[in-house]
Amino acid sequence: MARFIARSILSTITTMLLVSMALFLLLEVGSGDITVKILGVFSTPEQRASYRAQLGLNAPAWQRYVDWLIGNDWRAAKRVGYPLVTATNPQTDEKDWWADVDGQLTRWKLEDGHLQALERQADGSTTSHLVSGKWQTNAAGQEFFWGLDNKNNAVKWVRGEGSEVWVLTKAGLRKAGDGPQEYIPLRKGLLRGDPGKSLQYGRPVAVTLFPRVRNTAILAGVAFLFIMPLALFFGIIAGINDGKPLDRFISITSLGATATPEFVSGIFLILIFGIWLKALPAVSIFLSDDAIFKDPKLIALPILTLTAVELGYIIRMTRASMVEVMDSAYIRTAILKGMPYWRVVLRHAVRNALMAPITVIMLHVNWLIGGVVVVEVIFGFPGLGKYIYDAAIFGDFNAVEAAAMLTVTIAIATRLVGDLAYTFLNPRIRYS
Amino acid sequence: MVDNKASPVLQVKDLAVAYKIRGGEIEAVQDASFVIKRGEAYGIVGESGCGKSTVAWAVLNFLGANGYVKRGQIKFLGQELTQKSKSELRLLRGDQIAMVYQDPMQALNPSMRLGDQMKEVLTIHRGISDAEAEKRCAKMLERVYMPDPVNVMKRYPHQISGGQQQRVVIGMALLNNPALLIMDEPTTALDVTVEAAVLDLIAELRHEYDTAIMYITHNLGVVARVATRVGVMYAGEMVEQGTVEEIFKNPRHPYTQGLMRCVPKLGANKSESILYPIPGRVPPPGNRPAGCMFAPRCDYADNRCQEEHPALRALDNVNVRCHLAEEIDWRQWTPTEDVIAPPAVIAQAAADQPILEAKSLKTYYPVKGSSLKDVLGLGEKRFVKAVEDATFQIKRGKTLGVVGESGCGKSTLVKTIIGLEDSTGGDVKFLGFDITGNLSTRDEQVIKELQMVFQNPDSTMNPTYTVGQQIARPIRRFKTVPNDQVRAEVVNLLETMRLGANYFDRLPRQLSGGEKQRVGIARALASRPDLILCDEPVSALDVSVQAAVLNLLLEIQQKYDTTLVFIAHDLSVVRFFSDEIAVMYLGQIMEIGPAEAIYAPPYHPYTEALLSAVPVPDPTAKQKHIRLQGNVPSAINPPAGCRFHTRCPRRNLLPNGGKICQTEIPPWREPDDEHKIFCHLPTDTLTTFEPVISKEGNG
Amino acid sequence: MEAMQSGLKLAAPPSRLRRMWKNISIIFDSRVGTIGMIMVLFWIVTALVSLFWTPYPPNATDFIQNTPPNIQNLLGTDQLGRDILSRLMQGTQVILLKTRLPWGKAILPGGVAIWGVLGSVTLGAVLGLNAGYRGGWTDQIIMQFLDALIAFPVIVLYLVVIAALGQGDLVVIVAITITGAPGVARLVRSLTLDIKTRDYIRAAETRAETIWYIMFKEILPNARGPLLVDSMLRVGYAIFAIGTLGFLGIGLPPPDPDWGNMVNEARRSIFANPLAVVWPSLAIASLVIGLNLFADGLREELSRYQK
Repeated sequence: MARFIARSILSTITTMLLVSMALFLLLEVGSGDITVKILGVFSTPEQRASYRAQLGLNAPAWQRYVDWLIGNDWRAAKRVGYPLVTATNPQTDEKDWWADVDGQLTRWKLEDGHLQALERQADGSTTSHLVSGKWQTNAAGQEFFWGLDNKNNAVKWVRGEGSEVWVLTKAGLRKAGDGPQEYIPLRKGLLRGDPGKSLQYGRPVAVTLFPRVRNTAILAGVAFLFIMPLALFFGIIAGINDGKPLDRFISITSLGATATPEFVSGIFLILIFGIWLKALPAVSIFLSDDAIFKDPKLIALPILTLTAVELGYIIRMTRASMVEVMDSAYIRTAILKGMPYWRVVLRHAVRNALMAPITVIMLHVNWLIGGVVVVEVIFGFPGLGKYIYDAAIFGDFNAVEAAAMLTVTIAIATRLVGDLAYTFLNPRIRYS
Repeated sequence: MVDNKASPVLQVKDLAVAYKIRGGEIEAVQDASFVIKRGEAYGIVGESGCGKSTVAWAVLNFLGANGYVKRGQIKFLGQELTQKSKSELRLLRGDQIAMVYQDPMQALNPSMRLGDQMKEVLTIHRGISDAEAEKRCAKMLERVYMPDPVNVMKRYPHQISGGQQQRVVIGMALLNNPALLIMDEPTTALDVTVEAAVLDLIAELRHEYDTAIMYITHNLGVVARVATRVGVMYAGEMVEQGTVEEIFKNPRHPYTQGLMRCVPKLGANKSESILYPIPGRVPPPGNRPAGCMFAPRCDYADNRCQEEHPALRALDNVNVRCHLAEEIDWRQWTPTEDVIAPPAVIAQAAADQPILEAKSLKTYYPVKGSSLKDVLGLGEKRFVKAVEDATFQIKRGKTLGVVGESGCGKSTLVKTIIGLEDSTGGDVKFLGFDITGNLSTRDEQVIKELQMVFQNPDSTMNPTYTVGQQIARPIRRFKTVPNDQVRAEVVNLLETMRLGANYFDRLPRQLSGGEKQRVGIARALASRPDLILCDEPVSALDVSVQAAVLNLLLEIQQKYDTTLVFIAHDLSVVRFFSDEIAVMYLGQIMEIGPAEAIYAPPYHPYTEALLSAVPVPDPTAKQKHIRLQGNVPSAINPPAGCRFHTRCPRRNLLPNGGKICQTEIPPWREPDDEHKIFCHLPTDTLTTFEPVISKEGNG
Repeated sequence: MEAMQSGLKLAAPPSRLRRMWKNISIIFDSRVGTIGMIMVLFWIVTALVSLFWTPYPPNATDFIQNTPPNIQNLLGTDQLGRDILSRLMQGTQVILLKTRLPWGKAILPGGVAIWGVLGSVTLGAVLGLNAGYRGGWTDQIIMQFLDALIAFPVIVLYLVVIAALGQGDLVVIVAITITGAPGVARLVRSLTLDIKTRDYIRAAETRAETIWYIMFKEILPNARGPLLVDSMLRVGYAIFAIGTLGFLGIGLPPPDPDWGNMVNEARRSIFANPLAVVWPSLAIASLVIGLNLFADGLREELSRYQK
């Protein structure tokens, strides 16, 4: 048992690490030039290069992977020379980075070659004043300074070289001179709960992801509550009637349901309930964040669609396992002991029959998540699936990475739960 | 003859059982009639495919969705069972009729505590309280000699040994004191010493509870030990029945006679006696002859036998289904020309040089621990000591038999020699080459000289390839003959195996078990090896086929001067087949020497216990009663000193109750030049042991 | 003996082709399997016919938009006025018959679903055989790698792969291969673990055969039954996945019509012409269900056959 748990945990950690690397690599190879998407196709190569630098994309891949995983504030702090901390911005409610200069939270700004310190006040507002004597000189004779700008980057400003950057503002790209030459976009890293900023929305991924996850959790949770008891019930019924008309009926129906892709069954459901019967809303447009609680009908069709596909699959698994168990020698023993039929089924067969499907069902959570993506796209349901889809289409790799890691974590966690449930049900493992 | 106080419990008359299959049905049982009385053990014997088990299922009316009783009656305590409804049957099952079958591990629910599985028999049928049921179950477990019953009831099946599982199953069957107990090969999956203890238990319980027992087995020795009356089944029919003494003393049906002739007697050997296989095989249901079922395989069959189906009829004290029963005298039987000529006494090999020599051979397997430490690789390394200090040699052209119960290391020993396992220590020389390493370290020439024959006919051949392809592979691999002669060589080998060239293009699934085993031997012979290791080559075969395969092995040994290592758990077969025998227990060779020396005193105490456990196919033989206590200890932590000391029944012959056995490794006693015994008991004491088997009257 | 031999000579040994047909024909013993086979054959025939003839050019916008079925357009027209039947027929080709290579107009015979499944079966079989037969560290590493792959929700993996490599037939094949391989590998591994305990494998080992000979000549052929059934199911999954990708707008690129994409496009005018959604949906469902039924029947018959 201890061995089993230790193994599971070790393997989970390795798996997660592998997955994170693979994911990072894939997006690294593939996502193309994201700056084209953000700046538009008419941006010049020079503008794009400048913007890439501001996103920290010119750092080597391994460096960005480490940053992404465990953050880079510790690295930046060494350059800046002060501890880096976060403080809440009262206007946006998001966290900002500050350098802790002897107790005073400070950021800097270079204006016309003059360095200004922005100091955070207790109420969250800032005051600025000119500072001097901060510039250092390196071997090449450059005058430079490492500090924090007001966009949460650690920045290396170089004086006197006249280097220019393109800054993206709400009004478009603007040229700023005499400026920063190296950027470290500050982040705490995935392991510390900060997956970075969404490239599409410019807001922290963690903030935008949360309501989506909640909506999907409700959708999948309710579907799961529907599916499990129904699936186990029908699976067991079909299993004990192996080969009889009832079994044939349940098997073929569930086969049909599983083999029909979600977007097909979803559309049929829309046609039937949304267009012909006009009983349920055909799309799940959320007018407010908590629409899901105000109008539960919104998720009726998405749930039905998910149920249709998953129900069939789990019925088939349960049925197969039940048939096998009912054919086993110990069930024969129980029958020949003169046990009543339902006692044989419920006390002797069901527990053994559930062992095999439980792990498979838990593995199947991957498919469920896949189904969730499609269902959310069909119904316009603002959940995790649609989030991944939108982010992937845009190439918002910060968002894709975060959301994908989340789904992977869910998948692995459920698998772990499945393994544990299996251990619990199977005394052969529990007592060895 | 009819005992008044013994009333019939089960009366089966003219029973026929059929299974519906696509496009028709097959009659698995065509005609079976018998009566079992209270307190009687009725043995049903026959080879596989004869319908023995089907009779048992029919009694319980548990024939699956497609089986049904086609004809005949089954009366249980006067009530007709075939007419009973499902719910009436349910009330009888487990209460009045109980059943025990072959594999106890499969028969027990793996995810339910043993106590719960036992208790429900009482709470459902008798409606008694849980606490009361618990008490009765504990008592029953005690009754079947289960150590620590209260604790065992809290365990799951996989936590106790196979022998103990079978005790639980038997105890469970007896809880409601059933009138009829059906046992279908209940000891076949067990080791011989465990089997002996279970058989003792069955006999004891039969006397105590006065239960009627229907005992199904293929093993004539077991029948002779447990049954009072015997029915012999062949191809779905009862062909002979009578008291066990009568059947064994004077078998009337040619099939029964054939069965008796093809098993070696314990103590018989190849130079003095011959095994006579029954030619042909049991006809499958659906393809059975019109006349006597046995006619195609019978030496006596005449025209009438081919055409007219014989009925079961009374003759003297037995019932027999044979037209010619009166005329046949089985003592006058001579083998027909088809039977392989008995091999002459093995010629003395020219040189007495040993072909294989092992000194202190050790094979350990590392075991994976289950604690957290072990997972992280910090734990102490532990080993299964599968073979410990094996020292022996084999001379060219001879056969070394290795016997022992499961887990004694005999298979590991063979795997180490052939190179499937690495040896851990010691020294092995084969034809002068060192073969302590595994196959990857060996020279092609050595590999080719060492081949193996396997146990299970169903897995010995690759189902994908034809017989010819599989035998040709080693020939091509080792280039024993030029490429253009491969086919001729394969045909030659097939003919040596008496299979004929037409087997060349057959696939394994078209062969019978015996034929597959012969192909397996042909494949082993194909590289013309000097030494063939046979791992239980006949133990999965029916007795009549077993004899044929053994004869073939003897023949090829003669023809090619091949040396054999022969592993088996059947002591009669090993005795018959081997020149020298090694007895193994828990990884250690306990006794080694010429075959005749092993089977007569002086013995090692373990050999003595093994011999006294073997079921002898002779109800009149007197066998010493020695039973081993407890289970075989784990090979990870084998007992210190003598590995057998925890179970040795002879230990107390030593001063101090054998304290020395617990601490010191025993010396090799050498009562003879070639005969060695690994025991603290001095040779003089060992010599005083009486022979295990003595026959009454004409030995 | 002689008579027996001559008797056997008369009955010539069955040719390979005959044996194969005998193996295939067991499917007719299963009603479910036969129905499945008919459904699959229907689409294969449709695909073959579409190579030479479709009612109209599938991409020609010659008709009135969104008309219901009529004599001219048996299944109606879509939102751009194209003949749905022609598009449906042409759509079978990329799935079952041809793969468009990115170099010029080069075409590879065998559809995207077929190649994707072949890819995952090949990759999975190699990994599974090695993991199962070698055991130990090899097994640990391969299984760890596969666990990581399995942990990816399939759709997310598709999205990421396609986001990374862009749209294209080959990309879809790669995506199907990657997502399918772990399942095949697990299956092959468990079959291998079973088969490797057989005595004929010991026999091969005692002949000191190479590890590749044992894996591919002794083990793999005996796994082909379950592997065939699994592949059949996988072709179904692949078509399912291609449809889903098409629906999400990231599937097989134009000009060939893609069933999933047809559903997606018709969805926008679902109120005007609901049937335009129904046809391609039915096409996908029937092909996938057919393959599933076929595989189910095959599995049932194979297990009966082996008994």
